[in-house]
Order: sequence, then structure tokens, then C-alpha cells
Amino acid sequence: MRNFFSITIICLTFLTVGVFLALANNLEHVAEQISNNMAAVFFLDTDISEEQLNAIEEELKRSQLVLETTFVSAEQAVDKFREKFPELQGIIENIKINPFPPSIETTFKEKTITFREASGLITQIKNMPGVEDVQFNQEWVDRVNSFSRLAKAVGFFLGGILVLASFFIISNVIKLNVLARKDEIEILRLVGATNTFIRVPFLLEGITLGVIGGLVSLFLLLLLINSIPIYLGSRPGVLNELINFRYLTLSQSITIIAEGGIIGFLGSLTPLARFLKT
Amino acid sequence: MIELYHIWKQYQKAQWALSDITFRVDKGDFCFITGPSGSGKTTLLKILYRQIFPTEGQIVIDNRNILKISDHKIYQLRRHMGIVFQDFRLVFHKKVFENVAVVLQVLGIPRKEIRRRVFNALRMVNLHNKMWEYPAHLSYGEQQRVAIARAVVNSPKIILADEPTGNLDTELAFEIMSLFKDINTKGATVLICTHDRELIRNFGQKILFLYKGKLLRKESL
Repeated sequence: MRNFFSITIICLTFLTVGVFLALANNLEHVAEQISNNMAAVFFLDTDISEEQLNAIEEELKRSQLVLETTFVSAEQAVDKFREKFPELQGIIENIKINPFPPSIETTFKEKTITFREASGLITQIKNMPGVEDVQFNQEWVDRVNSFSRLAKAVGFFLGGILVLASFFIISNVIKLNVLARKDEIEILRLVGATNTFIRVPFLLEGITLGVIGGLVSLFLLLLLINSIPIYLGSRPGVLNELINFRYLTLSQSITIIAEGGIIGFLGSLTPLARFLKT
Repeated sequence: MIELYHIWKQYQKAQWALSDITFRVDKGDFCFITGPSGSGKTTLLKILYRQIFPTEGQIVIDNRNILKISDHKIYQLRRHMGIVFQDFRLVFHKKVFENVAVVLQVLGIPRKEIRRRVFNALRMVNLHNKMWEYPAHLSYGEQQRVAIARAVVNSPKIILADEPTGNLDTELAFEIMSLFKDINTKGATVLICTHDRELIRNFGQKILFLYKGKLLRKESL
């Protein structure tokens, strides 16, 4: 019963850490997906000169980062708007003037650039004459990455508290086991057992409890992740990315099991100390 | 071999369990410590295997002051001792074999050798046929014999026994004492606490009389 309690608390500890780690992993994946489709739209002055436009396009084409650039004139932009949002056509008719500036749509080569490189180029183009504004999906990438970092931080914070809790619980469970075997320990001492000889079974017990707790938490996390798509059904949107929920990486899983063992080991070190005197 | 110098032990204020005990037991001695209940026999033995410390005094065993051995090295002293406790101190959830084998297990002796030695020790106390039973299924006297087997299985240099025949009939008590005597003739020093005068008369070589914590007299027969 006591051992079951230890395993449960270790399992809950690592399940919490695991959930947040998995969430962070998935947010990182979403950010990666976005960055793989990195695109920027440079909005130009309505009265941009031919030379200025050519200079911008040449600069973009010269860059190793850019896959392709498409010039969209103000008229083409209106047409696109009309095509995409036919129900809003009336607004355009009423305004009478064309509210859309000309633009250059740029897509970057997939997976070959870093955010920093892309930002460098974008800043450079943005500062060129004739460029009014730029829309770049890096903001989204940054936001998702921030969420990912936050999820990790929350996971480690909660995990840290729970690790402490499980340390004390294992420690107390081992203490109870030690108390139950107090006479046996005393006899071992009196027949000449070394402290290590007495300690090892308790340490192994602690490590086993920790490792089992870690393993069970990984199994529960697997069940949880597999049940998310069933629960969410076929809801569309960004959730699609999360529905395709990823499990922890191998190294993260091994770390969780190892940490379980370490907590078990440390938790069982202290309770024996007072019985290993005299 | 065993030298005690001015041993004093106080459990409570104004009450001395042992007062100024000084004696020497030579290698190969077969020594009895006798005296009425509460005379300090058990306290003296506990001090010898260092379960408790004396309030004052020094104890030298094999030219080593045992009071200066650190807690984590005390096993070095106890591995040379076979101890029979007054309350037997058997582990009741372990079988007779395991209770005796533990002394050899802590020494890292191979399993096959442990089996052989434990069987021999249990045969000496006539319990080899109950090797796989739990102590709770044995009589009081049988439990005491298991405790004796555990004390001698390692052929220790020193045997300390606290009332080892207290629950045995006269015939068995003599058998056990003969067993101790056999071990003694092989070179072990034996120190037995008892108030069985018959045993002392028949086996005693050196006798220490304790009364109210004081050593009244020493006799060598």
C-alpha cells in the first residue's frame, strides 16, 4: 500500500512534467511549421517609382534566402480582395478610391533560413525608399515560441514542487519500511554487516519505486496523448496541429525515468541514517 | 584478548549499572559471568559488543580500544564475535536457514559454502531438520538454539552469550555448553552470562561474580 502511494505520487509528478513538456514540444513543432512557410509582404508607397521598385525586387532576388517574389499592383490587390471576399465587394465600391497599396509578396526557402537571417533581410528592405510597411509571420513564430517556453517553465516549476513532494513521500515510505524492519537492521549491524550492505536493499527499493513511477507516468501520458484526438473530434484550425499530438522525445522519456530513479535513490538515503549508528 | 579497565555505566542519575569493573579474559578462556538478575551482566556484554558505551572506562579487545572504533567501522569488531542475545533476536519473517545464513552473507561468502556451513551449524544444535521453517513455528528452546547456531556458524574468535541455556532443559543445556566448549577448544574465547550454577560447576574455567554492578570476585578453577 505504502509503495503504491509512492509510485502514484511519482507518477503524478512526472505526468505533470510530461504533459507540459509534450505541450512545449508541440508548440515548438507548430512554430517550426510556421517558420517552414515563412513569408513576408512588403507594402509599397502608392507613388513608388519604377527605379525604386526594380531596386527592391533586385535586392530580394539577389538574396540567397528568397525563394520567389511576386509583385502585386494595387489593382491586383483589389481584385484579389474581391475574389476572396465577394460579400464585402460593396465596401470597395463605396470607398471609390483603391485602399490597397501595391506590394511584393516574398516567400523564403524552407528550413534553410533562421529567423535572424530573415529579419535582417526584412529590415534591410523595409529601410529602402518606397517601402511603407512589412507584414511578416515571424511574430507568430515568436509568439508560439514564447508559449512553448512558458509551457516548459510552468512544467518545470510545477514539476519542481512535485519532485520535492515525491522526495519527501518516498523518504517517508522508506522510513516506514525501515521502521518495520528496525529489528532486522539492528541484527544485521550486530552480526557485522557494513552500512552499505544494510543500505543497498533500501536504496534499490527507492530506485525501483522511482523508476516504476516514471514508467507508469510515461504510459499514462501516452494514453492521454492518444485520447486527445478522440476528445477534440474534428475541430479545425490550429488545433489540427495539436490534435496530431506528439509524444515526448526519447531523451526526454529516458530523463524522466532516470529522474524517478534519482528521486527514489535520494529519498531513501536519509531515513536509514539514524539506524546505522551503534 | 579482552581487557576492561574501570568500566562504569550509568543509565539514570544516582544509579550505577556497573561500577569500576576491571578484568581480563585471555585468549582461549572459557569464562562465566554470573550474578543475580539486575547485577549488570547484560549491560557488560552489551558494552563488549559495543551496542552501548560505558560512562567511563576503557575496553581493549585484541589490542584495540573498541570505544575508539567509529560507528561505520564497528562491523570490523563484530565480525569476529558470535553473539547469543538473551531475547534471541531472530527475524520472524525469515526462515531458520536465512536467520543463520545472514552472518555469512554479510561476509560475502559464496552461496554454496553458506548452505554447507549453515547446515553444519544447525546440525550441531540438532535443528537441521527444521532449516526451512519459520522461527515462529519453533518452540522457545528451539529458537534459542537457532540463535546459538547463528552465533557459532562463522567460527568466531570470541563468543558472547547472554543466558544461552535459559530456556533449555538440563540435558540440552549441557549439550549446548559442550558445543561452546568444543568451539573453545578450537581457539575461541567464550564469555557466557548465566546464573545456572550447575553449568558453571561443570564447565567453568574462569568465573566473574557480579552483584549490583560491582565485580565481587574472580575465580579461576
